[in-house]
Amino acid sequence: MFKKLWLLGMVLGTAVSTWAQANKLNLYIWSEYIDPEIVKDFEKKFDCKVTIDVFEDESAMLAKIQGGGAGLYDVVVPPEQVIGTMVSLKLLAPLRHQNIPNLKNLEGRFYNPVYDPGNRYTAAYQWGTMGIYVRQSKDKPVAETWGILFDPKQQAGSFVLIDSHRDSIGAALKYLGYSLNSTDPKQLKQARDLLLDAKKRSLGFESGVGGKNKVLAKGATAAIVYNGDAARGTKEDKDTYFFVPKEGSEIWVDSMVVLAKAPHRDLAEKFINFILDAEVGAKLSNFNQYATPNKAAKPLIAPEDLKNTAIYPTPEILAKLEFLKDPGRQAKLYDEIWTQVKAK
Amino acid sequence: MSAHNEHGERPAEVLFGERLTRRDHLRRSAMLSGPGFLWVVIFLFLPLLFMVGISVLSRGAAGEISLTFTWENFQRFAGFGELGFDPMYPTIILRSLVLGLATTAICLVMAFPLTFFIAGLRSPLKNLALTLVVIPLWTNLLIRTYAWQILLAGDGWLARAAAWVGLTGAGEALYPGTLAVYTGMVCDFLPFLVLPLYASVEKMDWSIVEAAMDLGANGWRVFQHAVLPQVKPGVAAGCILTFIPAMGTFVIPDLLGGSKTMLLGNAIQQQFGPSRDWPFGAAITLLAVVIVMLGLWLFYRLDAKRGEGMIL
Amino acid sequence: MTRGHWLLTLLSGGLYTFLYAPIVVVIVYSFNTARYGSGWRGFTTKWYSTLWNNPQALSAAENTLVLAVASTVLATVLGTMLAMGLNRYWFPAKRLASWLLYVPVVIPDIVMAVAMLLFYALLRDLVGLFNLGLTTMVISHVTFQIPFVAIVVRSRLFGLDPALEEAARDLGATPWQTFWRVTFPLILPGVAAGGLLAFTLSLDDFVVSFFTSGPGSTTLPILIYSSVKRGITPDINALSTLIILVSVVGTVLITLMQRAKQ
Repeated sequence: MFKKLWLLGMVLGTAVSTWAQANKLNLYIWSEYIDPEIVKDFEKKFDCKVTIDVFEDESAMLAKIQGGGAGLYDVVVPPEQVIGTMVSLKLLAPLRHQNIPNLKNLEGRFYNPVYDPGNRYTAAYQWGTMGIYVRQSKDKPVAETWGILFDPKQQAGSFVLIDSHRDSIGAALKYLGYSLNSTDPKQLKQARDLLLDAKKRSLGFESGVGGKNKVLAKGATAAIVYNGDAARGTKEDKDTYFFVPKEGSEIWVDSMVVLAKAPHRDLAEKFINFILDAEVGAKLSNFNQYATPNKAAKPLIAPEDLKNTAIYPTPEILAKLEFLKDPGRQAKLYDEIWTQVKAK
Repeated sequence: MSAHNEHGERPAEVLFGERLTRRDHLRRSAMLSGPGFLWVVIFLFLPLLFMVGISVLSRGAAGEISLTFTWENFQRFAGFGELGFDPMYPTIILRSLVLGLATTAICLVMAFPLTFFIAGLRSPLKNLALTLVVIPLWTNLLIRTYAWQILLAGDGWLARAAAWVGLTGAGEALYPGTLAVYTGMVCDFLPFLVLPLYASVEKMDWSIVEAAMDLGANGWRVFQHAVLPQVKPGVAAGCILTFIPAMGTFVIPDLLGGSKTMLLGNAIQQQFGPSRDWPFGAAITLLAVVIVMLGLWLFYRLDAKRGEGMIL
Repeated sequence: MTRGHWLLTLLSGGLYTFLYAPIVVVIVYSFNTARYGSGWRGFTTKWYSTLWNNPQALSAAENTLVLAVASTVLATVLGTMLAMGLNRYWFPAKRLASWLLYVPVVIPDIVMAVAMLLFYALLRDLVGLFNLGLTTMVISHVTFQIPFVAIVVRSRLFGLDPALEEAARDLGATPWQTFWRVTFPLILPGVAAGGLLAFTLSLDDFVVSFFTSGPGSTTLPILIYSSVKRGITPDINALSTLIILVSVVGTVLITLMQRAKQ
């Protein structure tokens, strides 16, 4: 009896999933991160329906896929810092390069990147940096250093820190001249003390957008933000600008990946190939105002964006940027440092 | 009073005009309470058993749950971490308790006049007034909290009014700060107290109140002896439904307080989110739940000792 | 009591103002030109047309409503029955059972959400059902709503005068008739309050919804919380304004109709 029921369930389950398979693509991505026109064009070209779901941050996305299964979505757009984790949790399907000829369009830095040698699992989507968004002062130019937050003597008015443990600790580590990914308890303790002191003088921790809005509304002079948000802010108020501090900072890349049990793997690869097309890639970056990793798309990017160093940093700055890595077993150390920073 | 058969001291008796045997009781309670209980047991208690199990396991290198038994999570909670002893978590719990209690107290004081006002209205107006208390909550919490940020900003008229009265300096924002946090908290949780309280106040027997007044009792004594005993179940339900979520919340304190402190909600969120340490998160939760349930139990004992025992 | 009455009215008026203060801001800002900033930049109605052309927001609103109505109806029925059984009849380990009712209230929603997510994954492996989507969301919402409804209804049941029901039975009414004609009208305010609470909790739930949703079942709270990283767009303010308008007008209309009936 139980077996029969089980069989019935299986049949029903497969019936439902085959029905669902008819030309659909389930995309899991940050909100407002794709031009709706691109989605429409893709749907028309491949006669399919794209369903978009959005996530709040990469850890929530990861938890959801970890628990919900690697067949929940087809294409996901995670940041590079969780790629290694997703691979070791066996959540990703290798990309079949013969289906994605446009991979060759990727710029050198994003072709064969450190977080995914040989582009086995990922194809870069957009990239950017973290830095400081600041309101221009009338008397003297603001020194382009993390010191305007971490050094009381250099402090340039009121400021907001960023409410993300890796980003905040990373900024402090960079100011101290260490690696973003340091796991040395001594260095981390120094970073903690720096953050504790900065916290007392600050207006608190906010999300990137929250910080940007505070600077825009003149509630704060400086804030740690991601470059894309800052670029939008500068568009609204020319007296505000973004810089990457001279000590160096974080570079991030969001990539497209296919889930291990993606129900529509072929269409997923067609989608990735479509995004990597020169024209589509340019359209995407012109919509998002984030930098494109697609060298073939660059000639088609709006010239004022290409010139904007908040979006495309100079080579000198680029050389000082570092990718975040998953701390693995040392995650507890980061957690404890952050809890101390927040709880005291 | 129907409460006299609560907790079943006298199972066979005449109840609501019927003589019921022990079996009748069992049959009826299974029919009535069975489906709801079963639902909660299957979809919540079974999954939560996983969580209890996870709390003695460890985090793998990739943030997965590794099947190695350990007490480490509980030691970490007590303050024995990677960097030496530091009792952060008890402080975090204490801070959350204070936030929850204070919010509940303020809400309770505000809920009384509002509830009595609503209960005093004529029949269809009553429902309208009650629904109007809840409708603001149908706008998303984040949106409402951002609206408070705008209201309390430095150039807003509330900040100007506060500066004019001399409460703050000119141009000074009212947020981030404690005042802002409590404003947001009370605005969000007040309806959670009003609804249960209303369910009690609405059926109050006003003749008792009138009798007390006829006997010459003053306002406070009338409230204490004629009103409070009647609405106590509603007060208790409302306080619990406000206190517990208020203690676990973190969105409002973060957005209106500048997220400079860590609360219980943040601590748990951090483990299930960015730090990806589900076992430790499960352990923190388990201990927090035990503490809150113990608190409720103490509350219940105190109440029972006074011989009323109607709350839980 | 006349003196007390106007004081009560005044106080309540102040409290309503307090509750609606942020709502007024939301309504005003839905007509603000500024796209990302927080300042007032001038009047516009363009966000309403943007909203009309935003299928994601509209389908999220629809999902939210379907989810809230379906789960509230189920939870209100189950929760009310649960409260009646607990309040009136005896069964073994009853005190324990009534204590357990508080556990779902105490459990932080993220823990509840993750536990459910893992449980559905297990069920999926075992029976092939429970694919994440609106169904799993309804199941999860009902789970956390039941205790809230039960607790509120139970507080109403305490101290209810049994004489009325006894009289009904003495007059020959069946238990069913007694319930619908006598008991139910007596507990209705409690049921309504509990149901409203459940509905509200469902409408505003983000964490449990996020973890139990599947492709295409995004609700408004999921959409809104996920927008935090890029900034919430003003068309969400427009949508919130419409929701408030519909709720207030709807409630007033129902009241007027009830009044006309009397």
